[in-house]
Amino acid sequence: MALLELTGVSLQFGGLRALSDLDLTVEPGEVVSVIGPNGAGKTTVFNVITGVYRPDAGDVLLGGESLVGKPLHAITRQGVARTFQSLRLFLNMSVMENVTSATYGGTKAMPWESILRLPRARREEREVRARAERILSFFGQRLAGYRWDQPAYSLSYANRRRLEIARALATEPKILLLDEPAAGMNPNETHEVTELIGRLRTELGLAILVIEHDMHVVEGVSDRVVALDHGVTIAHGSFEEVASHPAVVEAYLGRDPDALTEAG
Amino acid sequence: MHFFVQELVNGLTQGALYALIALGYSMVYGVLKLLNFAHGDLYMIGAFIGYFVIQWFGGSTGLTIPVPLVILIMFLLAGGGCGVLGVVIERFAYRPLRDAPRIAPLITALGVSFFLENAALLLWGASYRSYNTSAFVSFSSGIHIGPLNIDNMRLMTILLSVALMLALRLIVDKTSLGRSMRAVAIDREAAEMLGINVDFTISATFFIGSVLAGVAGVMAGLVFNQVYTLIGFVAGLKAFTAAVVGGIGSISGAVLGGFVIGIAESMFTGYVSPQYTNLLVFGLLIVVMLVRPSGLLGRVQLQKV
Amino acid sequence: MAINEEQQGPGVGVDEWVARSGAKRQYAPGWRGEVQKAFERVGWWPRLLIAAVIAALIPQVIGLNGFQLQVAINALLLAILALGLNVSVGWAGLLDLGYIAFYGFGAYGFALLSSNQLNPPAGIHLEAWISIPLVMIGGAILGLVVGFPSRRLIGDYLAIVTLFFGEAFVEFTNNVAPTKLGGPNGIFGLDPITAFGHQILTNTGYFYLLLVLLVLTMAVLHLLDTSRTGRAWRAVREDPLAASLMTIPVNRVKLMAFAFGAAIAAMAGAVFAAQQTSVFPTDFDTPFLILIYAGLILGGAGSVAGAVVGGLVVAISLEFLRNPTEAAYVFYGVILLTLIVKLRPWTRVVALLAGTAVFGLVARLIVGAISSSATGGDSQSTGWIHDLLHNWVIVPKNPTLFGDIGFVVLVALLIGLVQLRGRFRTLTLVLTLYLSACVWEARLVTVPSITRQILIGAILIVMMNARPQGLLGQRRVEVV
Repeated sequence: MALLELTGVSLQFGGLRALSDLDLTVEPGEVVSVIGPNGAGKTTVFNVITGVYRPDAGDVLLGGESLVGKPLHAITRQGVARTFQSLRLFLNMSVMENVTSATYGGTKAMPWESILRLPRARREEREVRARAERILSFFGQRLAGYRWDQPAYSLSYANRRRLEIARALATEPKILLLDEPAAGMNPNETHEVTELIGRLRTELGLAILVIEHDMHVVEGVSDRVVALDHGVTIAHGSFEEVASHPAVVEAYLGRDPDALTEAG
Repeated sequence: MHFFVQELVNGLTQGALYALIALGYSMVYGVLKLLNFAHGDLYMIGAFIGYFVIQWFGGSTGLTIPVPLVILIMFLLAGGGCGVLGVVIERFAYRPLRDAPRIAPLITALGVSFFLENAALLLWGASYRSYNTSAFVSFSSGIHIGPLNIDNMRLMTILLSVALMLALRLIVDKTSLGRSMRAVAIDREAAEMLGINVDFTISATFFIGSVLAGVAGVMAGLVFNQVYTLIGFVAGLKAFTAAVVGGIGSISGAVLGGFVIGIAESMFTGYVSPQYTNLLVFGLLIVVMLVRPSGLLGRVQLQKV
Repeated sequence: MAINEEQQGPGVGVDEWVARSGAKRQYAPGWRGEVQKAFERVGWWPRLLIAAVIAALIPQVIGLNGFQLQVAINALLLAILALGLNVSVGWAGLLDLGYIAFYGFGAYGFALLSSNQLNPPAGIHLEAWISIPLVMIGGAILGLVVGFPSRRLIGDYLAIVTLFFGEAFVEFTNNVAPTKLGGPNGIFGLDPITAFGHQILTNTGYFYLLLVLLVLTMAVLHLLDTSRTGRAWRAVREDPLAASLMTIPVNRVKLMAFAFGAAIAAMAGAVFAAQQTSVFPTDFDTPFLILIYAGLILGGAGSVAGAVVGGLVVAISLEFLRNPTEAAYVFYGVILLTLIVKLRPWTRVVALLAGTAVFGLVARLIVGAISSSATGGDSQSTGWIHDLLHNWVIVPKNPTLFGDIGFVVLVALLIGLVQLRGRFRTLTLVLTLYLSACVWEARLVTVPSITRQILIGAILIVMMNARPQGLLGQRRVEVV
């Protein structure tokens, strides 16, 4: 059974059809890239999956269970975590707090337990902290040691992107939705991102759905690629198949006027 | 029947005043997304300016110039004075906070309101001032047909308010300033990038809203006579309710809301009890907020993620 | 592409260098840095303990009289209220303008339960140690009710609804059920609080009770702040949508903020009622709410210590403003303090004051020469400040009118000060300082209750514009 499945998802904003009858699947442990020109509806897909938008038609299934209509925090608890195209960190909270705050849904201590520092609360705090440290060490020296107590706004852009991924990981997801993780990065950092996504799949066993514009990243990580334009899937398959697909080329680059006269 | 009509007239009068104040609230919220708590106090200041004009020209029993002229001067000075004051407040209290989180200008508005009320208390004292309108306007004139008894002042209030609302409608729909106001209300950054002078537009919005409030203050003084430093607070709250009930950000909504609240209040006071009227108004607001937060004529806001 | 491991000195934008030097913390030079370091080395709990002990010893060491103890009690109450408000406004970022209603609920609740108000019909007359927890629970429930609209309302709309709720409370207690709730005349004859068998009847007793409650509340809130609940609140303030996508149940968390804040306010209300042995609807009007806000904003929303310090400072300094002589301390003190903080080095402050003094003398001579009635009046303040200044300030025979006009001109000057730069600013500053002294001596000092309200309004406006994080808060970074 597919881990994540979108069937016939449609969404309209007033007169604008953002998504039209969209189908998408992600198998466990798979890395699927979503590409397409700006405005194609890629982030909208993420928003529909995570519950920010409710589709007009169709269904979103995680492990066979429908996510549509559920409250956002419950959807994330079920195993869907995401990062954002324009970062949405908790800027005034420390690095460590950003990550530990995302463990809220996985802990049960009630406020009075926290106040009285009862055993369950203390135990959960320890576990949460240990898990956060493990996750942050995943990023090597970048988010290490003394950085934990620094406010998130003091981080560089690349580190902020890494922190957002770390925060998403703290929710113990089954599938990770990365929205343009390499946006604004130099070639060095882009390479790191590619490696990171690979490690997330092999070391943590996560399924990953990536929106990306940088084809080096897409080529480097994807098991499968899906191309969207105007809310519709125009191509899917391996990277080579999609990259050379005429509809995809046309969507990105426009049609060759000479080809028109050639065709007829 | 007499009674009903009388209460209806009262409701229309009061409603017209609420509508004028509510317009200022709505317009400012539209362009700045700010609830200007200090707006009601401009109404109070307008009322006081009107009072002082009467005193300047000899007092209510010994006016030295013709009555219509006095009233005209009252409107001009109160409207103009409040308009300028509104622009000053925006310029120095709210403009620096334009990009701050919403909580900052809200608290500042609270501070401005408090400051204005107490400055008025300092300058003019807590005692009630009376326009004593009946001394210079004859209440026997006006419309008296059958059960309908509208005296001159109430008639003027309703008609002038409607005229001002129509003028505002014209400005917003037909002039380039109105277009700028609508553009800024939808997306301030985009408006700026299209060459609209956002600072001027916002100042103009404050000016117009404050003029309306000031004029409403004078009319309130003429109709209800009593003027004191706290009238802005209560009227402000009710006009606020009106703006929200009608749909904040919507001009027609403010007008509709104003009349709805005014008439509801009047009917309730007349037929049930004056004591619980305020509770009714507040309760109405809470109900509307829970059932339809965007108000009767407002539009639901979409959030971009 | 390999990352360069070996770098000579700082390579621009290289993480390793940042990692090496970033671990070092920068402290202010000299003694200020030393104090900061020492302060941080001591933990939060020892700091609280030290402050509590010092506060507890004050009545013993300084020997406060009954009136001063009352001031201290009011200050402690305001500090507790600011703490409770901090939960909704400072941590969860919810603008609760009806907070005063929870305070009133606690007071009225105690009044109804711990007196004979309900005794004839219902036979309810409870001891304080039962009624206060009951009132707190009731307050928490009321907080949930008021917070319920927050599910669907954001920011401003929530502010409106809560504001109206607060107004409705005053209307309610004023008009509804006058026999039970006392109407505008309130309820009298409440029990004093009984603790460990002793009835607390003196101001000293209430001082210590409130001090204990304050310390307890601070401790509880600190423990909450460092737990998952505190993190959730702060995350909701930062970005509610992102928070909900990170497993935080935003609505539930908001309700918790309301409930905790309300319970704290209710507790304060009950103690307030007991100490006053009466409650009136006018105790819980909007001006008092604004006072709480002023305290919280001044001290620093988002910080436990900030809320307490802000509340104490506002309460105590406003208390000084009741009495003309002491009011002058606050007025001139604040002016001097602002100058010292804003103008560095101190030589500039001295030069400015000297210039103002000279300007004043000259102005008074000139004005006196032109018209004797213009300087014919006497400065309205009392005490040594009067003796010092009355030959320096201009006070006409009719001080009131002069004071009023001067006040308006003063506001205009202050606004202008913000706009000007350089030499013009210094000149205007001199004029402003002199005029403020004149207006104070002529007019403001005679109406301290109005003056303090004006100052509160000014505090809110200035703090939000100049230093929104307050005295002890952290500077926040906002993405709009």
